[in-house]
Amino acid sequence: MASISLRKESVFLGIGALDTEPPSTPRKTQDHFSFFDRTTTVRRIRGVPQFNKTILEFSVFSVARCRALQSFIGLTLLLAACSPVRERARTALTDDFGDTIVVGQTPRRVVSLNPATTEIVFAIGAGDRLVGRTHWDLYPAAASKVPDLGSGIRPNVEAVLGARPDIVLLYASIDNRPAAARLRAAGIKTLSLKIDHIADFHRAVRLVGLLLGDSAKAATVSDSVQRTLDRVRSVTAGLPTPTVFWHIWDAPLITIGAGSYMSELITIAGGRNVYGDMTAVSPTVAIEDVIRRNPRYLIAGPEGAAKIKADPHWSATSAVREGRVLVVDTALVGRPAVRLGEAALEMATLLHPETAAQLSQKVH
Amino acid sequence: MSGAPTVPTIGFEDVVVRYAGARVSALDGVSFDVPRGAMTAVAGPNGSGKSTLVRALLRRQPLLSGSITIDGDNIAAISQRELARRVAIAPQREEAAFPMRVDEYVALGRFPRLGLWESPSAADREAVDRALHRAGVSEFTERRTDELSGGEWQRVRIARALAQEGGALVLDEPTTFLDMPHEMALFELLDSLARDGLAVLIVSHQLNLLARFARTIVLLDRGKVAAAGTPAEVMRAPVLESIYDWPLVVTRDPAAGAPALLPLRRPTSLS
Amino acid sequence: MVTHRSWHWLVALAVFAIVCVAGVAYGTIRIPVADVIRALTGEGDTSVIAIVRDLRLPRVALAALIGAGLGMSGGALQGTLRNGLAEPYLLGVSGGAAVGAVAAFAAGIGDAGWIALSAFVGAAIAVLLALLVARAAGRGGRGDPRTLLMAGVVIGAFANAVIMVALANAPPNTVRGALWWMMGSAGDATWQTVTVLAVSILVGGAALIYLARDIDVLALGEEPAAALGVDVDRAARTIYLLSALLAAATVAAAGLVGFVGLIVPHIVRSAGLRRHRPLLLGTAVVGATLVVAADLAARTLRPPAELPLGAVTAILGVPFFLAQLRKTA
Repeated sequence: MASISLRKESVFLGIGALDTEPPSTPRKTQDHFSFFDRTTTVRRIRGVPQFNKTILEFSVFSVARCRALQSFIGLTLLLAACSPVRERARTALTDDFGDTIVVGQTPRRVVSLNPATTEIVFAIGAGDRLVGRTHWDLYPAAASKVPDLGSGIRPNVEAVLGARPDIVLLYASIDNRPAAARLRAAGIKTLSLKIDHIADFHRAVRLVGLLLGDSAKAATVSDSVQRTLDRVRSVTAGLPTPTVFWHIWDAPLITIGAGSYMSELITIAGGRNVYGDMTAVSPTVAIEDVIRRNPRYLIAGPEGAAKIKADPHWSATSAVREGRVLVVDTALVGRPAVRLGEAALEMATLLHPETAAQLSQKVH
Repeated sequence: MSGAPTVPTIGFEDVVVRYAGARVSALDGVSFDVPRGAMTAVAGPNGSGKSTLVRALLRRQPLLSGSITIDGDNIAAISQRELARRVAIAPQREEAAFPMRVDEYVALGRFPRLGLWESPSAADREAVDRALHRAGVSEFTERRTDELSGGEWQRVRIARALAQEGGALVLDEPTTFLDMPHEMALFELLDSLARDGLAVLIVSHQLNLLARFARTIVLLDRGKVAAAGTPAEVMRAPVLESIYDWPLVVTRDPAAGAPALLPLRRPTSLS
Repeated sequence: MVTHRSWHWLVALAVFAIVCVAGVAYGTIRIPVADVIRALTGEGDTSVIAIVRDLRLPRVALAALIGAGLGMSGGALQGTLRNGLAEPYLLGVSGGAAVGAVAAFAAGIGDAGWIALSAFVGAAIAVLLALLVARAAGRGGRGDPRTLLMAGVVIGAFANAVIMVALANAPPNTVRGALWWMMGSAGDATWQTVTVLAVSILVGGAALIYLARDIDVLALGEEPAAALGVDVDRAARTIYLLSALLAAATVAAAGLVGFVGLIVPHIVRSAGLRRHRPLLLGTAVVGATLVVAADLAARTLRPPAELPLGAVTAILGVPFFLAQLRKTA
C-alpha cells in the first residue's frame, strides 16, 4: 500500500478556485470606505490599455448611459479632488484571511499570485507595476512578460520576496495561510481574496483598485462587466430555462454547486444548474445521481467533453444519447475575472443559440 | 564400513560443498555409505558440516564436486519428488506457522506419492495409520501440533517421515530439547526401524548414545571425514580430542560395554 | 465434520449472493429488486436500465473479482511465506503500480484503459525488480522469505519516493487524478474491464489452486518442504509471480484496495479451513463478498459523493484485524 501522505490540494485548476474547504473566516460583505458605493460611476478617462477596448465600448460611450451620467460630472470632479487623500489616509481593509491592510502609499511593485487578480491588475491599468505572477497567469498576453514565480498555492515565499514587492495578492485558500503569515512577518502587505461569487469579483476589483490607488478605474471595470451580465440576463429573461450539468472533473466526478460563480453564470445565461441545490463550490457527485437528475445539457471543456462522449457510463444520460453535450472554452469561463461578461455571453449563446445574433450585437 | 554386498541406499562420494562467498569448503571430499538395516551416524563439532550434509542431500545446496546417490541413482538426476519417495528426511528446523492436527500433519508425508489432483486413497490412509502406529503416536491423532510436548512432536515428525515409505530415513539432530527418557525412547525406535530394514542416517552430537546404537559412526571435522567405522574404532581419545579440542577420556559404559566419552574439566591457567 | 464444513460454504455463498443483489439494488437511488430483474431483461425506465446494466452490474462484478483476486493472492502468500502478515502488495506491487499510474497521469493520459495498462506494467517491473534484489541479496539465489519481504519493502519505498517527486511539482490536475486513483475505486467498471480482469483472475486463480498442495507443504518450512518433494525455489517463485499477477490485475482495474488480501485469509482460516485448496476457494468467496459490500458502503455512506474503496476496506479491516490479533495473542 502506497503510503503517501499528501494533503488534499486546494485544486486551483486555472479554471477557477475550486476549493475543497470553505474559508474559515466569514467574508466581510461590507467595505469600510465611505465615499464609494455601486451606483456612482466616476468618469475619469485615462489612457486605456489595448485589450481594454471591450470595456471601453461597454462603458461610458454607450449612448444611453451618457445622459444619466452628465448630471454627475460636477459631483465627480469634487470627488476626484477629495477622495484620493481621504481614502489613503483613513481606510483599513480586512481580507478573506481576516488580515488587516491599511491603504497607504500606492504600491509600486505588485505580485499577484492568482490569475484572477492578475487580470484585474491589468484591467485597471496597473499591469506595468506587476513584478510577479503565477505560472498559470497567461491572460492578458502582456502577463507573460511578468516574471513567473511559480505556483499560487503554497507559493515559493523566497521567490516572492526576491521580487521585492510592496504588496502581494494571494488566493485565500487554507494552504496559503503560512505564506501570507511569512510575507507579513517580512513586512510586506498581503491581500488574500477568495473569489467564488460574482459579487466577490466586484469586491475584489474594488479592493485591488483601492489598494493600487486607482479606484475610479476599478469601478469602470466592475461596472462594465456588470453591464454585460445584466444585458445577457435581460436577453435570456423569459426564455425557457434548460437544466444544465457542468462537468468539471471525472475522477472523482466533480461539478459546480450554488457556491460558485459558474452556477451564477448559468442562471444569467438563462439556464438552471441541476446541482444548484448544493451550496458547495465544487461538490463531488455520483454519476448515478446525475442520471437521475437528467440534465438537458452537459457542459464541459474540450477534454471533458471528449471523455464524456467516449465513456460508456455517460451514454446512460439522455443528454449524451441525444447529442446535447456543449463545449465551453475553459480558459474563458474558468476564472471569475474581467472576462465574466464574455463568459456569460458564451454560455448564453450555447444555451440559447437563437439569441446569438441579439447577444453579439455589441461585441467587438 | 559394513561388508554387506548390497547397493548402499545412500552413498556420498567425494562430496565437496562450498557456500557462496566462503573461502573454505563446508564439506571437503566426504565419502561414506548408508546401508540398509543399520543405523549410521554422522557426528562432529559445531560447524563441521553435519547440517550441510543434510542440506546437500535435500538438494538445497548444490555440490561443487562429487555425487550423492540413492539406490545407485545420482540425486541430481531424479526429481525432488522421486527423491522424497525414496528418502524420508526430517531436517533440524521446522516451522509450524499454522498449527494443524497430527493426523493431517502425518498425512502430508504422502505428498510425494499423490498425483496433483488426486485425493488420498485408501492405501494412503493405511500408510498413514501404519506410520502413526509405528511411531507410537496413534493415541493423539486429534491433537494439534502446537499442543504437543517436545518428545511427542519428534515422534510425530518421524511418523510423517515413515508415511513417506521410503527405503531410508534421515534425521538431523532429532534429540534437541528432549530429556533423557525421550531421548532413549527415540533411539530405541530408530534402532527398531533399522532392524526392520530401513537405512537410518542420524546426524547428532550425542556421541555416547550413538556409540550405543549406531553401527557406523562418521566423524566430521571441518568438512572432512576425520574418522569412520564402528564406535569402537572411531571413539578414541586422540582422535576425539583433536577434533573437539577439549580434554576428554574414553571409557566403556558398564551397561552395554559401548565406548563412552567423558569430557574433563579444563585446567585453569592458575593451578 | 463434513456437514459442518458444507454448512460454512452454504452460508458463505448465500451471504455473497445477498450482498451482490444489494450491490445492484442500492446506490444513490434504491431500485427495488423486482425492477432490477425487469431492467435486466430490458424493460422499464431507460435510466434505470442504464444504471442497472451499465453501471451497477459491471461494478458489482468488478468488485467481486477484485475481492476474489486479492483474497487468493493474500492466502497464497501467507501460506508460502509462512507469515500471517503477508499481503498481496508486499512484493512492490502497489508501489510499482502507483508509479505506472502516476507516470500516465503526468504524461497527460486520461484514458482509464491506458492508465490501467501503465499501472500493470509498473507493477510487473517492480515485482521482477524485487525478485532480482532478493536473489542478489540472498546467498546464491536461495533467499529466504525475509529477504524477499525486505526486497519488496525496498522497492516499495523507492516507488514511493519516485511518486512523491513526481507529484510534488505537478499541476493540480495530475495530483488530483493520481491521488484519486491511488485511493481505489470500482467506479470505472465497464464490461470490457470486467472481462479483462475476469480472465486474469480465473487464470491466475486456477493456477494457484493447482499449486495449493505445494503451499500446504511449503508452510512447513523450506527444508521440510524439500524433504517432502517440493521443488522449493521453483514453486515459491511461481506462487509469488502468480500472486503478484493477481494483485497487479486488481490494482490496474481499480487502484489500491488495501487490507482485503490481509484479513480475508485470516477470516477463512478462523472458520477452520487449513488446507490451501479449500482455503483459496474460501478466500475467493469471502474476499468477493467483502469488496462488494465495501463498494456498496463506499457508494451509500455519503451521498451523492463516493468514498474511495481503499478507504472503506481499511476502515472495515482495522477493527477486524485487531480482533484477530487478540484471538491469536
